[in-house]
Amino acid sequence: MSAPVIEVDDVWVRLRGQNILEGVSLAVYPDDVYAIIGPNGGGKTTLLRVILGLLTPSRGVIRILGGTEMEMRRYLGYVPQFRTFDFEYPITVREMVLSGRLGHITRLPRRYGEEDRARTEEALDTMQIAHLADRQIRNLSGGEQQRVIIARALVGDPKVLLLDEPTVYVDAPTEAQFYEILDGLRDRMAIVLVTHDIGVLPARVTRVACLNRRLYTHDTNEITPDMLEAAYRCPVDLIAHGIPHRVLPEHSRKE
Amino acid sequence: MLEVLGFEFFRNALAAGVLASVACGIIGTYVVVRRMVSVSGGISHAAFGGIGLGYFLHIDPLIGAAGFTVATALGMGALEIRARQQMDTLIGAVWAAGMAIGILFVYLTPGFAPDLFSYLFGNILLVPWEDILLMATLVAIIVAVVAFLYRELQAVTFDPDYATVMNLPVERLSLLLLVLIALTVVMLIRVVGIILVIALLTLPAAISRLYTTRIWSMMLLAVVLGIVFTLTGIWLSYLLNVPSGATIILVSTLAYAGSLGIERLRQGD
Repeated sequence: MSAPVIEVDDVWVRLRGQNILEGVSLAVYPDDVYAIIGPNGGGKTTLLRVILGLLTPSRGVIRILGGTEMEMRRYLGYVPQFRTFDFEYPITVREMVLSGRLGHITRLPRRYGEEDRARTEEALDTMQIAHLADRQIRNLSGGEQQRVIIARALVGDPKVLLLDEPTVYVDAPTEAQFYEILDGLRDRMAIVLVTHDIGVLPARVTRVACLNRRLYTHDTNEITPDMLEAAYRCPVDLIAHGIPHRVLPEHSRKE
Repeated sequence: MLEVLGFEFFRNALAAGVLASVACGIIGTYVVVRRMVSVSGGISHAAFGGIGLGYFLHIDPLIGAAGFTVATALGMGALEIRARQQMDTLIGAVWAAGMAIGILFVYLTPGFAPDLFSYLFGNILLVPWEDILLMATLVAIIVAVVAFLYRELQAVTFDPDYATVMNLPVERLSLLLLVLIALTVVMLIRVVGIILVIALLTLPAAISRLYTTRIWSMMLLAVVLGIVFTLTGIWLSYLLNVPSGATIILVSTLAYAGSLGIERLRQGD
């Protein structure tokens, strides 16, 4: 197996006198679709922010492609939790996607070149939003906005795509479409997906972990009852993905 | 009507109005999209401390104001980054403390403080030629910096987290933006005065936002609107013989209310 793209090594985060993360370690490999599930407030977003260098851990190290320098972040593509920024901002779809190239431009003044523009059109095509390129982001539907955010992450040629609760605000058909898109990307980069909703895991995850301050994983793609119980602190019914199940009782048959 | 253009003071007023509008349109756009209206209010009122200091030290009060606002802007920026203080409380404290310091300095300065009133409420008809030169220099600096760092400032004001992940110098860019706001505020003191600065800084940009889809087009329209408002205000104040600063602000506010109303009607369709 090749070297991991992300290594999290014994990371502790303490904020306002509370441990948010305790001794979290994990490794993401190039062909991984890694799902991290856990209850709200369990530290999922904090873990992502530590990996992205937006938060300095009180203890532990993050290595991206083996390096610990902040510059290594340019290999990460980040899809923040939906609605964490201002969709009213006057910016067009193309400009927003193009801005994802800024991490690759170091010469001042930063100007977009041929390659940046070509990559942008490519990402717009991949996410099937080329026809929306000149629209302002506030005039898009939720699903379209989300595809723009992913396109901005893709345009930087990331080795890993980190997604924070990507399906919270989108409806079911959009969600299905979203997983199709992820499936198309998995050959090009590792994918790390964070969610509180166990029911939405894509079909082809390679590794699953449960996070609630500590990280519980068997380094496989199975969620086991002991992992869930450890993370959620209560027994959770497991529902296998793809197997239809009833959540409502059947109608009684009195005519 | 046009014979008034023969007076130097009136030509100076028009030049000051145009220069102030350019600065407002550009910097006000960032203030509006980044929601920094109250920070800007804090910076502008802190300027009064600098004006008091200027009187006390017998230097040009505007020089005192420039030093004071830039220091306040950097201080607030640093506190926001490091201490993560409750920003609204901090702004309130700076706002009031700046005014208080100004009042104490003016009190401690022997003799009468001439045209103190014009620093509070502005008097564009009294802008001397040297101040026009100073304003022109500041506008040139603002235009140059924004042209040079347009993409970076866009990334930082739109999504600072993502800009950080892309290894942009987000903290330095945020501080630079605060300094530009401070310098713009100093320019505007001559035109509309400390108390009314915030309106001229934000209203043209706020109206412009309703009709534009890009930062640069929002700036452009905001500059044009600013020029229309200040020139209309100057002309009206001359015609009716009323204070110019207040007239400019009322013209802007009416235009803002009007555009909001039209927008509501349009969306009601």
